[in-house]
Amino acid sequence: MPGKKAGLTDRTPDGSVQDIFRTIFERIQTAILIVDPAAHEIVDANPLMESLTGLTKDQMLGKGCQGFVCPAKCGECPVTDLHKNILNIEREVINAKGERVPVLKTVAKADFGGKEYLVESYVDITSHKKAEERQAALLAYLSESILRAKKPLELMQNDFQDIVKKAESGDYDAEDIRMQLALHAKNLAQIVKNLEELQAKALKGKSAEIPPEFREFLLRK
Amino acid sequence: MLCLLVAQPEQIQDMNLMVMKKILASGCTPLIVTVNKPYKVLTKIYAKEGIGPESYFVIDAVTQYSGGVCPPSPRVKYVNNPSNLTDLGIAITELLKQMPEGKKCILFDSVSMLLIHIPSATASKFLHFVVNKLQLSDVSGIFLSVEKGLDPVVMSQMSAFVDHVMDYEQAQKQTCLL
Repeated sequence: MPGKKAGLTDRTPDGSVQDIFRTIFERIQTAILIVDPAAHEIVDANPLMESLTGLTKDQMLGKGCQGFVCPAKCGECPVTDLHKNILNIEREVINAKGERVPVLKTVAKADFGGKEYLVESYVDITSHKKAEERQAALLAYLSESILRAKKPLELMQNDFQDIVKKAESGDYDAEDIRMQLALHAKNLAQIVKNLEELQAKALKGKSAEIPPEFREFLLRK
Repeated sequence: MLCLLVAQPEQIQDMNLMVMKKILASGCTPLIVTVNKPYKVLTKIYAKEGIGPESYFVIDAVTQYSGGVCPPSPRVKYVNNPSNLTDLGIAITELLKQMPEGKKCILFDSVSMLLIHIPSATASKFLHFVVNKLQLSDVSGIFLSVEKGLDPVVMSQMSAFVDHVMDYEQAQKQTCLL
């Protein structure tokens, strides 16, 4: 039976493991915070956490996690008080400029030297959110195009059929027919204009113009 | 009472006629807001069903828009363009005041055609304004729309403004819509 292979971080020849983990901690493309759960204080942060927050490690050390990387109030910590499992949950981190950065957050408990700590990892999902917004924008414009073109066109189609019938039966005089044809010609011109405007807006990606309620509806899971 | 009635495109005109008959049968005076058919055409359609022009009032937002003649009448107000919501709002207020005392009901034909002229979000705000006005004046309102012709937000807002949302078949079964 072959023995279990040892990975790089399993080797402990001369204390180099600590260096390996330090390097991983500093180079990994996930922002990491180490939190003391008793005091709810940050005790370590990696460089990616610095770029995510715009704060230096020094500025973060000793800082409370509540109101910074966690919206919970004192006594309502989801991990230590409510015993919830935080695994890839969408949250927001408030950066140095006061901006809310969307992240995927995971919290794991870890024991270092007999003391329990929380290892919190954060993945910046700003670009994913922007793509989601863009998709919502396109869906909104597509939906609006259908509502402002397809349904009125269906109504107009029925109107045209009605005009034909009424013209044949003599119910409508020439002015009635002229007026309705002129009205629908203008309606068609307006529909074409609406579609052009919607297309132009969709291409510019003016997602800010989508009513927030509609965006919320489209993004509802 | 405020109602949103939805129907297939080919049923909209029949629904308009059915609603008009029910409004008149309930002893209510209808005020038709049309962004769909010119007044002259509307009178002919109603006349064929035995509904005379003395029994209703009209706000016509399409005759002038289509280049038609707008003969003055105390029972009709013309708005130059369906997208002119300011004038449409003023016309509704003025004509409601001019109408004789008693039960009144607005018949809006149709929300779907209004969407040619204004975006859904603007239509929603305008309809909210109209609904508020009707509630304050104790006037009933019936809004016609093509089925699935409103965006989900406008639909949910309209559903919140009105007392009932019904399709054509459900509306037909009601002895009184008001």
